[in-house]
Amino acid sequence: MNSVQAIDFSAVAPAAGPALALIVILLVDAFAPRGAKLSRVHDLIALLGLVGAGGAVAWLVRTDDPAATLCSPDPLGCSYISSGLTWTLQGLVVGAAVVCLMLAVDSDVAADRTPHHVLFLTATAGALTLAGARDLATLVVALETASLPVIGLVALRRDARGAQAGVTLLFTAVASLGIMLSGVALLLLSTGSLHLNRIAFVLSSPELDHSVRAVAVLGTLLVVAGIGFKVSVVPFHWWTPDTYAGTSLPVAAFLGAVSKIAGVSAMVIFLTIGLPVLGDSSAPVLGALAVLTITVGNLVALRQRIAVRLLAWSTVAQAGWVLLPLAAVGASKPSAARDAAAASIGYLVAYVVAGLAAFGVVIVLARRHPDGEQHSLQAYRGLARTHPAAGIVLGFALLCLAGLPPGVIGLVAKVVALQPVVDAGMWPVAVLAALNVALGLIYYLRWAALLVQQPEGEPRSWKVTPAEVLALGAACLACVVLSAAPELAAGIVPDMIR
Amino acid sequence: MNVLLPAMIGLPLAVALLLLLVRGISDGAAVRIATGTAAVNLVLAVVASVQAAPFDRSGPGLEVDASWIPALGVRAHLGMDGISTPLVLLTALMGLLVTAHALRVRPSAGRLPGLMACFLAVEGGALATFTSLDLVLFYIAFEVVLVPMWFVIALWGDDKQPPRPRPRSTPLPGGQAARTDAAWRFMLFTAVGSAIMLLGLLLVALQTGTTDLVVLADGAGAGMSHETQVLAASLIVLGLAVKAPMFPLHTWLPPAHTIAPTGGSMLLAAVLLKMGTYGLVRIALPVAPEGFETIAPALGILGMAGAVWGGLACLVERDLKRLIAFSSVAHMGFVLVGVASMTPEGLQGALFVNIAHGLITGLLFLVVGSLKDRHHTADLHVLGTGLRDRLPTMGWLLALGCFAGLGLPGLAGFWGELLAIVGTWGGEDALGATARPLAVIGVVSTLIASAYLLRVLWSIWHGPREERWRSDPDITDATAHEVALAAPLVVATVALGLLPWLLLDITGDAVRLLLGVGGVTP
Repeated sequence: MNSVQAIDFSAVAPAAGPALALIVILLVDAFAPRGAKLSRVHDLIALLGLVGAGGAVAWLVRTDDPAATLCSPDPLGCSYISSGLTWTLQGLVVGAAVVCLMLAVDSDVAADRTPHHVLFLTATAGALTLAGARDLATLVVALETASLPVIGLVALRRDARGAQAGVTLLFTAVASLGIMLSGVALLLLSTGSLHLNRIAFVLSSPELDHSVRAVAVLGTLLVVAGIGFKVSVVPFHWWTPDTYAGTSLPVAAFLGAVSKIAGVSAMVIFLTIGLPVLGDSSAPVLGALAVLTITVGNLVALRQRIAVRLLAWSTVAQAGWVLLPLAAVGASKPSAARDAAAASIGYLVAYVVAGLAAFGVVIVLARRHPDGEQHSLQAYRGLARTHPAAGIVLGFALLCLAGLPPGVIGLVAKVVALQPVVDAGMWPVAVLAALNVALGLIYYLRWAALLVQQPEGEPRSWKVTPAEVLALGAACLACVVLSAAPELAAGIVPDMIR
Repeated sequence: MNVLLPAMIGLPLAVALLLLLVRGISDGAAVRIATGTAAVNLVLAVVASVQAAPFDRSGPGLEVDASWIPALGVRAHLGMDGISTPLVLLTALMGLLVTAHALRVRPSAGRLPGLMACFLAVEGGALATFTSLDLVLFYIAFEVVLVPMWFVIALWGDDKQPPRPRPRSTPLPGGQAARTDAAWRFMLFTAVGSAIMLLGLLLVALQTGTTDLVVLADGAGAGMSHETQVLAASLIVLGLAVKAPMFPLHTWLPPAHTIAPTGGSMLLAAVLLKMGTYGLVRIALPVAPEGFETIAPALGILGMAGAVWGGLACLVERDLKRLIAFSSVAHMGFVLVGVASMTPEGLQGALFVNIAHGLITGLLFLVVGSLKDRHHTADLHVLGTGLRDRLPTMGWLLALGCFAGLGLPGLAGFWGELLAIVGTWGGEDALGATARPLAVIGVVSTLIASAYLLRVLWSIWHGPREERWRSDPDITDATAHEVALAAPLVVATVALGLLPWLLLDITGDAVRLLLGVGGVTP
């Protein structure tokens, strides 16, 4: 075995963007004269790092030259692969991170610019690396890089609620890491490799021993449970509402967007690249988990009166929808794994875009409402009349999340997510999910209906900051473009799943 | 590429968006803009119908086909043939009537730009539904009407309805609660229905590898096993049956019709219900014919159950608006039975009832809405007798609507139900042993229809003048505006009654092609 592995730097360039930016921020902070006003400088550096990452992704997509790097002599043993799947996920991470950054720069958490931006960029770099990770060690490390800094972000709000939310998230992270690592160990034990492609190859061998297969299935389920914590899959979701409500809203938006993308990326890569052959064993479990997640999320969201809590529970339900197609990985068709990955990511795109638009309006309103971040849904009464732009963005985002026209993208996303399940003939799962479409639209629509009602009291005038305009505009524009051309989300068929 | 169909769908949707986004449009301006748009759209629909003729060729006469979501194989495929053309014309006409209605008559609550936007959005969505030739596009178009109609009921509906505690088994809420209840019932029933339909559509698309309705209809179920066809047909029929509505899934309809403002009730009855039955004829029947044939007896029995149940409910209902809503359940039951018979006569009858019911019920809701606006009640006992003496024009319009509704020969209501019953009698291939009993029950249910509509006439039209309204200055006879709105409906009802071939010729060839049978249809 050669000791030094060759690294293809162009392939890992996207993850380098935020990493470089965070080093520059630390250096500027260390060498700047005391008392210098650096907050805008830090914002700019962070933004440049993200834009650089976006440029790198765009360049990789343009050259369209999939590459494998960090390879061992084993032909199936590359740790990082830069392919269509990787670029899609990275593009989504960068877009979501830019919007989250714009939402964060005017908030109280960003009062401490340096720690906030460093943690923010570290987590983003982790999510970007995760998209290309193709062995279990890299996957786990990247997933932890994407999620551990978020604990810091949550705890940046230095009060009791922030501390409690941080501690909750810390316990979750520790528990999920432990579970995930035991799953990884069992998979290593049964297949002798950490590389996902090698694992897939070993498990697809016809001479595979039954007991080995059983160990691999157990390992798979443990890893799924571990990742399930990150994406708040029921029954591993209990941290979600307290953390969302306890932290500052821009951090909650980050949790709901970038962290969610990271978790789903891990799930998609793990299940569709590493273990498609175990699909028929894991499919029923995943199907049940997905439907349970959607149902519990929807049922609890129905009863929420605080806007951020409603959003928190609705992200739980939406995470279930994202996982739903993965239940069909084990279908007998050869393209099943690829179709499932495409559907899952297609739904993820729609959810992230619409979710960020909704979060954006909630953040903008929370900064100007006397009840602050704990404002109830009643605060939205008549918003479309008093503040038409915010009202229209939120209304459209809610209809996208509910999956009702004119939010065509939400509707197409539901079609995309249900298709693999119907194709695999998993009727109980499909029917329960379909019934949840109706359940979900109750609370979204109830909220949307408040927007157009007669406002109560004198409307207060707002002055929206440029960063907020940018964030809301970008998210809303993405919703509109995707609704007019759903192909952009539905057509993500990641080539080269390796 | 033909721009007529996209323009016809896009125009009302675009104007609806405009009315929502532009601030400071006054009520009067909004109504005039909406009425103008609907009028232009009616012209577009007429021109499109002329271009789509003649209707005896296979495939749509007027067609637009463009790529939209290649990943799902979904195309923006629109077309008009003999089955869609009458419904397109009906929708465009109703769009004009409901917007023009608001020129003089204000709903009891809310401002008008939003209401006009909702009406136009419903019109655009319904036109898209009636012309889409792609499964997923149909589903999206089907959902377009949901949110605007929900808003029409939830924001502009009647919130002064008194609660009705009796009978204790089915008490009705009043006031704001009634409005919320009606809006959510409508939303949840139809949303669950369309979600179930979506599963069926996806199953068809995945098994056959296409979502194009023309290809699917040509294939007539090829590529699907018998079990798959039965499953697909069951899911699609169940989903569409909620909208149609089919007994026992009809319980959303009476409150929605009762609470909605006059224009909303007219659109619900004349346009939204038709989307369900249109879907049966356009999708369920041609795409999975074997599966449809298997479940046809169940559909026939439930359809006829709806016809009888709706009629019986009408016999005891006191609220006139609710009564007409229940009579819709009864009429749509006939449509379901006609489709289930899978005979040319039955299908022709079903399509005829579809149009006739749209015209007649539209007229009845218009008249009853006007009565309710004047008397602030639609209770038969409170309205009192002697309408023909008190308000003669209104009285005659009501009488005409009732006579047409009970199927008097010479008016539009007659031919459709006759054909549906004839088709059911001969529909033993699909309905099996239930065909003849269903036809006989069908005859009985037309008798029930006569009974309840004559009861309406007896209770409020006939008899001595009710004295309690004598001194009320608000209560005047139909205005010129209302007569002008009713006129096209009256003319069409009489014309289709005297010259039924006007409609039968348009649908006849399409039905023959659909069922793949030769020979002459009535």
